[in-house]
Amino acid sequence: MEVKILSAKFDIEDAHKIEVAKQHGAYSTLDKVFSMQPEEVIEEVKKSGLRGRGGAGFPAGVKWGFLPKDTGKPVYLAVNSDESEPATFKDRYILVKDPHMMIEGIIICSYAIRSHETFIYIRGEYTSQVKALQAAVDEAYEAGYLGDKVDGHDFKLDVTVHRGAGAYVCGEETALLESVEGKKGQPRSKPPFPAVEGLYGCPTIINNVQSIASLPFILEKGADAYKAYGTEKSSGTHLFGISGHVEKPGMYELPLGVPLLEVIDKVAGGVWKGRKMKGVIPGGSSTPVLLPEEAKTVTLDYESMAEHKTMFGSGGIVVFDETVDIVELVKNLIDFYHHESCGQCTPCREGLGWMKKITAKILAGDGTLDDVNLLRELCDNIEMKTVCVLSAACTMPVRSYLDKFRHEFEAYVTTEGSSAEAK
Amino acid sequence: MSDRSQLISTGEPFQFDSERDAEFERLVKRYPTRESMILPSLWLIQEQEGWVSQEAMAYVADRIGTFATKIYEAATFYTMYHLHPMGENHICVCRTLSCWLRGKQDIVDYLKDEIGIKPGQISEDGKFSLEEVECLGHCGTAPVVQVNGEFHEEMDVDKLKSLLATLK
Amino acid sequence: MAEKIKLFVNGVEVEVESGKNLIDAIGAVGIEIPHLCYHPALGADGNCRMCLVGLEEGGPPLVPACKTPAREGMKVLLDAEHIKKIQRDVLELGLINHPTDCPVCDQAGECSLQDYYMTYDLQESRMTVPQVAKNKKMDFGCGVVHDQERCIVCGRCVRFCRQITKTGELGIINRTDDTRVNIFPGRPLNNRYATNVVDLCPVGAMTSSDFRFKQRVWFLKKAPGICHGCAKGCNITIDHNREKDEDDIIYRFRPRLNEQVNGYFMCDEGRLSYSQENEGRLTEARLSKQARDLEDVIVAALTEIERAGKIVCILSPNCTLEQMVSVKALADKLGASLSGYSDGYVNAGDGDDYLIQDDKSANRAGLTILDIDCSKTTLENALSEADLLINFNNDLSRSFEDSALTQLLRETKVIAVSTHDTPMISSATVTIPVTSYSEYAGSVVNCDNILQNFGKAITKNSALEDIAAIAARLGSPLQTVSDRFTALQEIISALKDLEPDKIPVEGLNLNSEAANVTA
Repeated sequence: MEVKILSAKFDIEDAHKIEVAKQHGAYSTLDKVFSMQPEEVIEEVKKSGLRGRGGAGFPAGVKWGFLPKDTGKPVYLAVNSDESEPATFKDRYILVKDPHMMIEGIIICSYAIRSHETFIYIRGEYTSQVKALQAAVDEAYEAGYLGDKVDGHDFKLDVTVHRGAGAYVCGEETALLESVEGKKGQPRSKPPFPAVEGLYGCPTIINNVQSIASLPFILEKGADAYKAYGTEKSSGTHLFGISGHVEKPGMYELPLGVPLLEVIDKVAGGVWKGRKMKGVIPGGSSTPVLLPEEAKTVTLDYESMAEHKTMFGSGGIVVFDETVDIVELVKNLIDFYHHESCGQCTPCREGLGWMKKITAKILAGDGTLDDVNLLRELCDNIEMKTVCVLSAACTMPVRSYLDKFRHEFEAYVTTEGSSAEAK
Repeated sequence: MSDRSQLISTGEPFQFDSERDAEFERLVKRYPTRESMILPSLWLIQEQEGWVSQEAMAYVADRIGTFATKIYEAATFYTMYHLHPMGENHICVCRTLSCWLRGKQDIVDYLKDEIGIKPGQISEDGKFSLEEVECLGHCGTAPVVQVNGEFHEEMDVDKLKSLLATLK
Repeated sequence: MAEKIKLFVNGVEVEVESGKNLIDAIGAVGIEIPHLCYHPALGADGNCRMCLVGLEEGGPPLVPACKTPAREGMKVLLDAEHIKKIQRDVLELGLINHPTDCPVCDQAGECSLQDYYMTYDLQESRMTVPQVAKNKKMDFGCGVVHDQERCIVCGRCVRFCRQITKTGELGIINRTDDTRVNIFPGRPLNNRYATNVVDLCPVGAMTSSDFRFKQRVWFLKKAPGICHGCAKGCNITIDHNREKDEDDIIYRFRPRLNEQVNGYFMCDEGRLSYSQENEGRLTEARLSKQARDLEDVIVAALTEIERAGKIVCILSPNCTLEQMVSVKALADKLGASLSGYSDGYVNAGDGDDYLIQDDKSANRAGLTILDIDCSKTTLENALSEADLLINFNNDLSRSFEDSALTQLLRETKVIAVSTHDTPMISSATVTIPVTSYSEYAGSVVNCDNILQNFGKAITKNSALEDIAAIAARLGSPLQTVSDRFTALQEIISALKDLEPDKIPVEGLNLNSEAANVTA
């Protein structure tokens, strides 16, 4: 089931070093790319059906097309390497194992969108990865792939690594821009969208690491080769992270459209310790949970996820077994999203803290049915009333647990005892 | 998140050492605005001193040419900036979903017993500080512990014991 | 005039100005969209989420009105059940960590959160878990006291200090519900407009140490006025109250919007200058330091005038045009020389490029318009020959050293017509108390040549008259208010076809008419 497109060089020793990477084809698409018109590059990417791999799944080529023409302002590229959504750890492999694939992708994208300045925003927690990435960028400069004449072509490109410092919300693209500008990572109201008014008020494209890293393959082998993987609407491959209660957690590259449960069983070795699955989170902690019976018909693509009222998200799959206390799990999630609320707008700032305290109250055995109902109501009251979707990243999954595992919450607030005893 | 507004004053003026000074000057050229240097400067301070004092923030504000409140905002917003001195060995245990599912609590409990500090505290001898942090992006190799910035994956109590032995 | 467009609010067609956001455009025709963080002087931020409105047809169904420009044909929903629910929900979330200490909060009565709760919410609190604890009674400097728990983090104060004063003393620190406004340690508020953050704060998080706990705001009467602290003439609201058996007292000045003059703001010195209207006032008429009936004193003054050989009249640059023209007519009639010398009212270098002016008087331009001589030499020469000075409230101690003044007036008797009981008037032969600017109506012309008219705001217990009336009593031919206005119309062509009460509230810009001013 596994494929090796993005991960082709992951198992090669020292593939993060430019000499080794070049022996295995790194930077080999550049001559072809520079012989094309930028519009042709965009067209090829559009044709490939590549969708943004950060979580939203917006077609990358289409996004590039939103850039206004001839504004007289510089165009910036920001590479989003802030992956912080719980259960997401795919981009890290690219940064560490094959950073030159991403840098090559940056060159391709920059050429296509006529940008000469890239900022790679990497989450602050990635300490050793920051160093690895910076080393790769330095190598690329030395080898002439970055700088005044990229690979000898008449194209200037500078790449700066900008390190975050502990804020999940900076993965939201406008919060990321604020952070590069030296501010708190507080998302901007849209419109204007970054393609029109982004970094330093200039047109800006923000793409996820994996999206960017997919470009060398698409340009080298062609859109059709990429579309040979995946489904009609969800083309290509994805680096899936599988974690939680499975025998073989880890990062696996798979074509889109493969059945979720088969992946869990065959690729990740099934539920650990011979236990039963209680639920599965399909695309990072912000995606609504699926019950095992719901998961039966799910395939790993954007459309199937939507049909099952959840989301493809970042491809971070989490399996949890029958021993898990759902109320505790929900508390763990709300704690995270509360901790990461940027504090800018009222519903999220105040609401997530309220949800956290209500859940703690329920867990402590001090809750009532009213509290369970209030928690559920707050999901509706907060969601989509905010500047960005961080609050929805909390309320969407919490609502799904409340709806699908309501009995576990009720068990905490009835005199009979907690769900801990029930299980 | 807890309140981070209480800054610590060293009573001493701060300045970058020559290495950081040069790094500041190198980096500032990479950005169209000087304010973009706020995050990199706070990192430089933390590299140099291990934490960020009130004086260091004021220094950076004046060096960049911006309001001290903007530095204060960034330093209190981004939770990786230490606003007080940490232990010689700063241990971060990931508390979020996948690490929680794979037993992060055993790690925290063991550290509590072994070092005698709770998350958010520093040991009396100053050797250790412990922090529970949100997702560190190593969910596939959970639970994960980060000591002085270095990742230790697939942690369990036995591995932790040998790790601590190398630190003491 | 801005272009008009038509749009629909709750299905009803309204005509609004284009180029404005929905809050301002629809607000201008009397339909309120609740909002806390938006302020027209500070722009839209979009953080409070109170102004979410529905849009029918096209685009996102829910938008922040502050960030949404009014467009032709738009269908805005405000009274739909789902929008009302959102307003209730957002308010509930804004209130869960709010202390609701309205009974002891200075803002009560003029608090947006309180008002909106009454209008849009009115539900029982469902908050059964502990609130976030923050700091209270923080001294932010410049007389601004902050309560972090009452704060709703709308950021108006922060934006004011960054965008308007460009001093940036305030920031919003932390994140989550621990977010709070603070100063950087050791760098408190340090600008001359700081107290505006108290007005800007929609709740009781920013209070003024000067006003705190002095009055409940619902007892205060509000009257429009013009600040006389400098030549800018900032428009103000005079908040005053007469408590039982007490005098009418001013408790605060607040800036009042005038786009042509001061916008939404005023400086702190001007704001605090209200106290001079309350304190140190001269309320009794005197003859050689002895309190006397005003009528007796007027008779004595007339006698002095009759006896005098050469008379000098001087007036204050704070006098209104009406007072000036009246005094001028008096001087003409008496054959007296008239001076407006008042260099001491100018504090060179004190002004800034925003509102504060070097000139600390309200109507120096009036002296010019009425062609009143302001030179020091002329005044000194005149005084050296004069045996009587009639001083209409010009504080000469601001322009002369004490010894120089004594020397200058050693042969001269003084009739002091004064608002305040200053050391300078103690040497006067005749002392006549008059009303100050909050107690009379009149017009002043500011540093930008904008003529502003203001009404009487305060009625003191001691029934005093204003300078123009006293001048009339002393013989000015301009006996009535309308005499004086007619005289001004002769000089200022812009006033020609205007009734006094038809002077526009935003003032009359005389720049285009300047050439037509004939003295």
